[in-house]
Amino acid sequence: MAEILNANPTIRNASDLPSRRRQGHTQPSSKTPKGLFSGTVPPSAYLSDPFSPSSLSDSELSDDDNAEIEPIDEQEIYDLISPISDPEHPLTLGSLSVVNLPDIFLTPTFPERGSSSPLTTLTVLITPTITHCSLATVIGLGVRVRLEQALPPRFRVDVRIKEGTHSTADQVNRQLGDKERVAAALENGTLMGVLRKMLEGCESRAV
Amino acid sequence: MPSASSLPQISHLATLEPSSPSRAWLTAPHPTLPLLATCSSDKTVRIYSLTTFTLLSTITGGHKRSIRTCAWKPNLKGESVLATGSFDASVGIWRHYDNDMNPKPKDVLSGLDFDARDKAIADGGMGENGNADEDEDEEWRFAIVLDGHESEVKSVAWSAGGNLLATCSRDKSVWVWEEVGEDDYETVAVMQEHEGDVKCVAWHPGEELLASASYDDDVRLWREDVDDWGCCGVLRGHGSTVWCVGWEGEVPRVFGDVEVGREDMRGKWVERREGSGSRLMSCSDDLSIRVWRRRPKERVQQSRLSIIRSGSSEENWVEEVQLPKVHSRPIYAVAWSKSGRVVSTGGDGIVAVYEERWRKAGGDAESKDTKALEDGVDRSKVNGDSKTDGAEGMEGVTTGAGSTSENNGQQEKQAETEEVPEATEWVVIAQLEGAHGVFEVNHVAWAPRRDKNGGSNLEHEELIITTGDDGTVKVWSLDV
Repeated sequence: MAEILNANPTIRNASDLPSRRRQGHTQPSSKTPKGLFSGTVPPSAYLSDPFSPSSLSDSELSDDDNAEIEPIDEQEIYDLISPISDPEHPLTLGSLSVVNLPDIFLTPTFPERGSSSPLTTLTVLITPTITHCSLATVIGLGVRVRLEQALPPRFRVDVRIKEGTHSTADQVNRQLGDKERVAAALENGTLMGVLRKMLEGCESRAV
Repeated sequence: MPSASSLPQISHLATLEPSSPSRAWLTAPHPTLPLLATCSSDKTVRIYSLTTFTLLSTITGGHKRSIRTCAWKPNLKGESVLATGSFDASVGIWRHYDNDMNPKPKDVLSGLDFDARDKAIADGGMGENGNADEDEDEEWRFAIVLDGHESEVKSVAWSAGGNLLATCSRDKSVWVWEEVGEDDYETVAVMQEHEGDVKCVAWHPGEELLASASYDDDVRLWREDVDDWGCCGVLRGHGSTVWCVGWEGEVPRVFGDVEVGREDMRGKWVERREGSGSRLMSCSDDLSIRVWRRRPKERVQQSRLSIIRSGSSEENWVEEVQLPKVHSRPIYAVAWSKSGRVVSTGGDGIVAVYEERWRKAGGDAESKDTKALEDGVDRSKVNGDSKTDGAEGMEGVTTGAGSTSENNGQQEKQAETEEVPEATEWVVIAQLEGAHGVFEVNHVAWAPRRDKNGGSNLEHEELIITTGDDGTVKVWSLDV
């Protein structure tokens, strides 16, 4: 990435970002996320989830007070993805307003079944910093990977470009929605290097 | 709707043990033996027994990335040959003498001999250097690697005769390989007409006709025409990635009874089906499953062949019908059983079974259908209103309507003579949610039941085999 595509992005102050987290939770772990793609498939370290009896409170989770009894809501999703770094700036997707709390939607996958189905569809609309940003796919992939690794498997994660914010949104959406392509991308060493760097700032507990 | 009072149930029969620790992509039932091959993202293929539901051996060491797909070569005796396709862009051919694979009664029937099983796992692959310590390293022999694709291989399929192997990839190409000698394969075709990843290839059960499904939303048909392989049809209609295509068996089956007074309709349906041959089914990210039918060529058109030579192999396929909508997430797999039933699955974790039935002239559909019948064969005008009948979930019964394969209008005339009243309808006969818990289901296949009567082939009892993101393979019986 020799050439910076958006050299002068708008940046929000950390204190302006939506949060309900207290001190001590926001500081990123110094641990390097390990085994990034070993976690892409049914692993062990999901966020605690009341619907999933298998997500036991292992050591990583037990540090995290209350996470086990709080349902997963939009704010929590935001907290998972806002610390992701932009691939070309030393800034987070939250501070660049690439991800925004009002653009995160949690809905039942089978609305007609009410609470009888644990499946939840999570839709995250991302807003690239510029409309022709060629890194939109990588950013979207980072968001999807982060969520799939951190959330229990009952979540169906849809990451899309917010309407009207990107010139090739349809193409990017198609790629981000293609499970097979995403799975293959995670076995691509070069791409994984980029993603790993982007996710460095995220808490390692669920990665 | 099923008329019987007791609805068919999809019942869990077994979960194959031990399962893959990570995402399993696909499970291929052996054409004759009670074996299943499961491809996993852990770069291995697990061979399970369909008699004991336990692991027999594991193929390891060949591929450097996820194994996405595999297929058993048909028409072999005494030896099994498996083709594997991987995200590492290569295709592997593996061989195994069948007598090695018969589960030893002592080890497997008890299902408790973990030592033996672990040993089987350890010995199953030959490693990259063929370094297994004991004689069992002969179990699965790596025969040859087929290189050529530029990126992930998504699907592999053997022709019904077994002499041709089709492979497809994210590189948008479909390759056909021919076995010209023992472990010697020649590339006979590289076809690049698709404009996106090719997700799936499947051979016609009787002809050397290949179907491919793509990210470009199209299904294409390919065959050899005077020594050259080429595209002979484009099936357009899906609104997003087509994940999978599956062929109908050569002998069609429509369930239920034909109502008195409608035998005529059945006759016409059967006649038309004979002219078309096996139909093709496709499932997509657009949440639909479509049935495609070939329109037989008209002799009159032969005169045109002198003008456009390539037109000689062109086939005219039409979308016949869409199955009732069940899925709410991408549909990853659809399979047509020997008995004529269809099963589908996908990202919503639902497994649904469908049957094609003789349509009953019930309710408000009656008048129209009866009228259509009276009109006889030449009823070209019925196209429009035929869709308005009351068949549940059957919108788009598109004989003659909807998309057609790249036809240039020359077959328009045929519609009149080919028109058949809506003799059949597709119904969902069974549905299962959460087949793999909260996980997505990547693949579904049919296999004959082999765990009873000493493993003999109970053709009439078909099992459903599902493969999921949780790494497990589950076996289900359909209790009709």
